[in-house]
Amino acid sequence: MAQLLNEIPWEMPLLPPAGDTAWEAIVKKRVGQVSEVDRRVASNPWIRQVCLDITSFRPFAMPMRLVSIGAMVTAQENSCRYCYGANRAFLKILGYSEAFIGRIERDMYLAELDEKDRAFIAFCRNLARSRPRPAKSDRDALVALGFSPLAVQEIALLIACGCFFNRIGVLIASPPEQGFERFANGPIGRLIGLIGPLTRKLMALKQQGPAGEVAPMTELTRGPFGAIVGTLFGLPSAILARQALDAAFASPILPKVTKALMFAVAARTLECRASEAEAARVLAEEGFAPAEIESALTTLDSPRLSRRDARLLPWVRNTVYYQTGRLQGETKALAAEIGDQVLLEAIGTAALANAIIRLAMLLE
Amino acid sequence: MIDPTIAWSVGVLIALLLAVCGVAAWRRRTQLESVITDTKLKLEHVQRQFERFVPADVVEKLTEGRGDYTPSRRRVTMLFADLRGFTALADRLDPSVTLKILNGYFERMNEAIVRHHGHVNELIGDGLLALFGAFEPNPWQGRDAVLAALEMRAALARYNDELRAQSLPEIRFGVGIHTGEVVAGVIGAGQLNKFSVTGDPINVASRVEGLTRDHKVDLLITDEVRSALDPRFRLRAMPAAEVRGKREPIVTYHVEGIEAPADR
Repeated sequence: MAQLLNEIPWEMPLLPPAGDTAWEAIVKKRVGQVSEVDRRVASNPWIRQVCLDITSFRPFAMPMRLVSIGAMVTAQENSCRYCYGANRAFLKILGYSEAFIGRIERDMYLAELDEKDRAFIAFCRNLARSRPRPAKSDRDALVALGFSPLAVQEIALLIACGCFFNRIGVLIASPPEQGFERFANGPIGRLIGLIGPLTRKLMALKQQGPAGEVAPMTELTRGPFGAIVGTLFGLPSAILARQALDAAFASPILPKVTKALMFAVAARTLECRASEAEAARVLAEEGFAPAEIESALTTLDSPRLSRRDARLLPWVRNTVYYQTGRLQGETKALAAEIGDQVLLEAIGTAALANAIIRLAMLLE
Repeated sequence: MIDPTIAWSVGVLIALLLAVCGVAAWRRRTQLESVITDTKLKLEHVQRQFERFVPADVVEKLTEGRGDYTPSRRRVTMLFADLRGFTALADRLDPSVTLKILNGYFERMNEAIVRHHGHVNELIGDGLLALFGAFEPNPWQGRDAVLAALEMRAALARYNDELRAQSLPEIRFGVGIHTGEVVAGVIGAGQLNKFSVTGDPINVASRVEGLTRDHKVDLLITDEVRSALDPRFRLRAMPAAEVRGKREPIVTYHVEGIEAPADR
């Protein structure tokens, strides 16, 4: 069962702030403030962009109320002290009472929520945890309860985004936003919380504004893991997944084959055939024979990988199911071997693999 | 015509009664919420303790009232480890020293097993049974078990250095590893229930551990485990040996070590 905020062990930060003032100005302009994660991933162009896109995620088919609750529950399941604390504080600012938040995080029967809302929270928990891994039947169950297929896709994307951001937070051991948490729980935060219902209404009104453009199916399905991204067709935010994958695989810091093998290892850990097949497709394009792929997956090594990159395969497996303290300790040891720049790229790849595979699991 | 004073009095009385009922209902609700929260906290505590011994999905099913946890067939790798000659040693030592040595040993072995995705399922005297792939699917379970055993070997060597420095006797172990399909579920009766596995592969793993005495080696694996290993593992085939309860002799391999990754 999921840990509560004060139960999550948390190491010292693995990466220092990059000190990229130009990037911080862009972030501040778009979302109003620069987070600890933004500062620490700023040296990697694609990871910082994905983090920023997720922070400014705007739901299309789901009410903002559920999105905020789902983000906290996902962070709790992923034992990310950073995201859990920040999302919890955000709920306080939105006017949710401590008792209500407490009941959500303890997964208690919530009289305030209807059957659909409770099913939504359970789905967030199950997909984030993936133990046992959810399947297409779980997605169909949400549709049977009255969620539109597009809304279910958006829920899955929301959780996938959470899994990405949470893993970034965990793996770099980002220091919690203690200032924001203190503010939300302090007198001013409580005062703002009093007008929370109004804030929520304003956010809902803003959500009703013109939605972003829906990318054509052909644009979503081209490139790595196209079959999985294609399932998000109809959502304006689907392009986020496409752009993240394209930018990740184009980044020169780690070779494409290393990243594809990292995806394949994570897919096998989660027993997701669809994403393992997609990873195999990328590897085949890079000249890997099926036997070579199988051998790499069986031994968690490949003669085509450098010694440094071979170290990443057993590690990425541990980013799927983990105990926070143990994983952070292991990642710290890895950092000493491969250096900050490669480590950040590996962290981004592992986080993205965990996110994309969670989308794919609902296809089988 | 009703006297207005009486009407007002009745009205005030009803309002007061409603207010009293309201306050009582509110207090009752608060009390009930507090009871529910307390119960939930206790359940959470039990659940967390329980998850140390039973797979999380089984705990979820049991605590959500779906107590009919269906046993399943799972492919699991079993590692048996047993101390050599420890019973005789224990007879000569002070009981507190015996326990100190034993607990230190278990602590180190458990660390190595957990690091490689295994779970210690049972401690039997000075022996232990660890499972790989029983609590969650693990496609690398055979490899994990052998890596855990190699780390256990290294940890035992370091522990013996510590024991020697304290003028305490050194200890030695035998480890047998086997992979096979077992039935996993909550096994037991009455007050004594636990999540465990059962089936012939468990017996095989135990027999293989026993063979380490005959072959005078510390770590043996079966063919099923060998098939999951890559050539970096240095193995030495042992003569096939007959064991109790098996018609065919068992082929085993001694794991000598693992090559460091080649420079690339």
